[in-house]
Amino acid sequence: MLKSTYVPSPAVLQPLPAGWTEHKAPTGHTYYYNAETKESTYKRPVAVPAPMKPMDNYHQHQVVPQIKLSDPNVANAFMAQFAPPPPQQQQHGGRGGFGGPGGRGSFQSRPRPQPVDKPRSKVAIPGHEPWVLVYTKYGRRFAYNSAKNASYWRIPEKLMPAILELDKERIRLKALGKSLDEKDEGDKQKSAAGPSPRPATHEDEAPAHDYDSSEYEEVEVTDDEGDEQEDGNAPKRQRTEEPTENQGPVEFTEADIAAQLAAMGADYADDEEGEYYGYDEEMGEGGDAGVLLSEQDTRELFKDLLNDFNINPYSPWEKLIEEGKVFDDPRYTVLGTTRERKEVWEEWSRAKIQQLKEMRAKESKKDPKIPYLALLQEKATPKLYWPEFKRKYKKEEAMKDTKLSDKDREKLYREHINRLKMPQSQLKADLKKLLESVALSALNNTTMVSHLPPQVLGDIRYISLDPQIRDPFVEAYIQGLGPPPADDQLAQEEEDEAAKKRREERKRREKALEERERAVAEEKRRQEKKVRFERAKLREEERELERAMQVGKKGLQSQLGVMDKDAVMDDAALM
Amino acid sequence: MPAIRAASKRKPPPEGFTDIEEDLLIFGNKMKDAQNAPTDNIPKHQAQWPVFQISHQRSRYIYELYYEKEAISKQLYDWLLKNNYADALLIAKWKKQGYEKLCCLRCVQTKETNFNSTCICRVPKAQLKEGQDVQCVSCGCRGCASCD
Ligand SMILES: [Zn+2]
Ligand SMILES: [Zn+2]
Repeated sequence: MLKSTYVPSPAVLQPLPAGWTEHKAPTGHTYYYNAETKESTYKRPVAVPAPMKPMDNYHQHQVVPQIKLSDPNVANAFMAQFAPPPPQQQQHGGRGGFGGPGGRGSFQSRPRPQPVDKPRSKVAIPGHEPWVLVYTKYGRRFAYNSAKNASYWRIPEKLMPAILELDKERIRLKALGKSLDEKDEGDKQKSAAGPSPRPATHEDEAPAHDYDSSEYEEVEVTDDEGDEQEDGNAPKRQRTEEPTENQGPVEFTEADIAAQLAAMGADYADDEEGEYYGYDEEMGEGGDAGVLLSEQDTRELFKDLLNDFNINPYSPWEKLIEEGKVFDDPRYTVLGTTRERKEVWEEWSRAKIQQLKEMRAKESKKDPKIPYLALLQEKATPKLYWPEFKRKYKKEEAMKDTKLSDKDREKLYREHINRLKMPQSQLKADLKKLLESVALSALNNTTMVSHLPPQVLGDIRYISLDPQIRDPFVEAYIQGLGPPPADDQLAQEEEDEAAKKRREERKRREKALEERERAVAEEKRRQEKKVRFERAKLREEERELERAMQVGKKGLQSQLGVMDKDAVMDDAALM
Repeated sequence: MPAIRAASKRKPPPEGFTDIEEDLLIFGNKMKDAQNAPTDNIPKHQAQWPVFQISHQRSRYIYELYYEKEAISKQLYDWLLKNNYADALLIAKWKKQGYEKLCCLRCVQTKETNFNSTCICRVPKAQLKEGQDVQCVSCGCRGCASCD
């Protein structure tokens, strides 16, 4: 017990993921609490380790020649060399992104303040070269097939899993990334952005490719299929023009964007995965999804859990914690603290023990004589003396039951043998007397001969007659009886009703728990998005700094020449 | 044949023992493990801490079953005390005001401690300096004042 309650050396523990804190339970156990999601667990949460994929790690994913891509101008110059970029080069980009500073276009209130959107960065979609995901200045994105030279606002379904992976990576990166320190800053900017209440630009990790500069390739997305605009449900398909160098940026017009938004919005509105259509959901605090669980419900759910896991109510609390088998059940964390859990456990174990006691009391009323008399009926014979009988049948359960003393057994044996010598008429009269002594509620015309009440079965008079004579006799007697008293039936029905109510009650709170779990997951998702958003803000600030240190055009090109020859990875530059 | 006679005379445990038999066995095994655990690189005064703590937990377990949950009968409780499953003297202390959480008897025996006073673990948290972490020498207790 002690061993398991000792906390392992902190040296072997990994740092906790963002949002988690370590606490000590009154039991001495260490547990972990996430203030954001209100989760608590005994299992030390770990940041999901990034799998070894090129896109996973900031420091490793670059497959492109060494270039200071963090400098947008360098990046642009680099991009310009590959127009259109060969597929394997598409790996480049990916990180170091940002949402545009004014990128708060919202599809609820149309992006009136900034009607001009343009491609800003792109990231290769792993496994789907030459497809790239292009981010716009306003933080929207579209899929671009560089081989076919076609763009799609509506991301083709076959790309979804890969993009989902990309997004997951970004979410994972958040664990390694910055905290929400800049939150306030972000909120301020949000409100400064004007009338749009739903900021839509939260894409981060976009590649450092600035299309603003006129000398580089422009990916131009124009709406050349305007007829589709009317159909809100039709996937919006856009073509790009042949990319040419040194051409001025072609802008989205307000109408274009409005149409795109309308087309996307229709799908987006009821789509859980809305962000894959180019938008993140609102960043609001939210999370107040209807939680239907009352405090009583949470307690009952915890008790259900204890019952379902067949927890021994006599066992100490520490055992429950040490075994830990209930930890993974959502009903375990339905109570927020260990103190509460212990309290409910105590209440539960007390009641449960009481219940068991009552059951046992009922059971002990089951006369231990009954199985013994049944044995006598079957095996006892005047030919055997008690010691012989005892030895012969010592293995029988009825002979071992400690609730009946050997003295009593012997006495019953002798009495039974004596009664076997009595005339049948006498035995029948005795049996009738016995049956008449039983109340109508226990013995009536609905009683089955195979299920006689204990007071009959535990009486020596019952076994004196041979069953072949006895049973028809009892049967005849029962048929002459009246029906069971009415209130008995009523009591039975009431009991059934109560059981039904209990079942329904349980179903209801389990459903409420499910609901709450869903709300928690939703809140988690929100938080993740928030983190991504904050991260994007941070990147944008970095970006501003970099812009301030822009290299001259000439110097840049000569720099590029050198890099081209010396194609070595440089990841640190991206940070 | 004295051995056989003794065996036949041994009384079975009172009713209800089967309810707690398994958990008592677990405690028993833990106790054995603790007693047999190597103590080579553990400071001498710490070597017996696990034994004290398991003994405390087992006594507490029985105490709660009898006094708080009324889960076991008087006969069974007495039988458990008689058979050393619980420390009757320690339980006697728990029933006294101010000693409800006492860790072990040593911690209230003034003579054995260095300062001729009760153990540091008996001092309420409120009277300690902020953030002061205490652990008593005799049983490893980190604080067992009733008001904590
Ligand atoms: Zn103490
Ligand atoms: Zn102590």
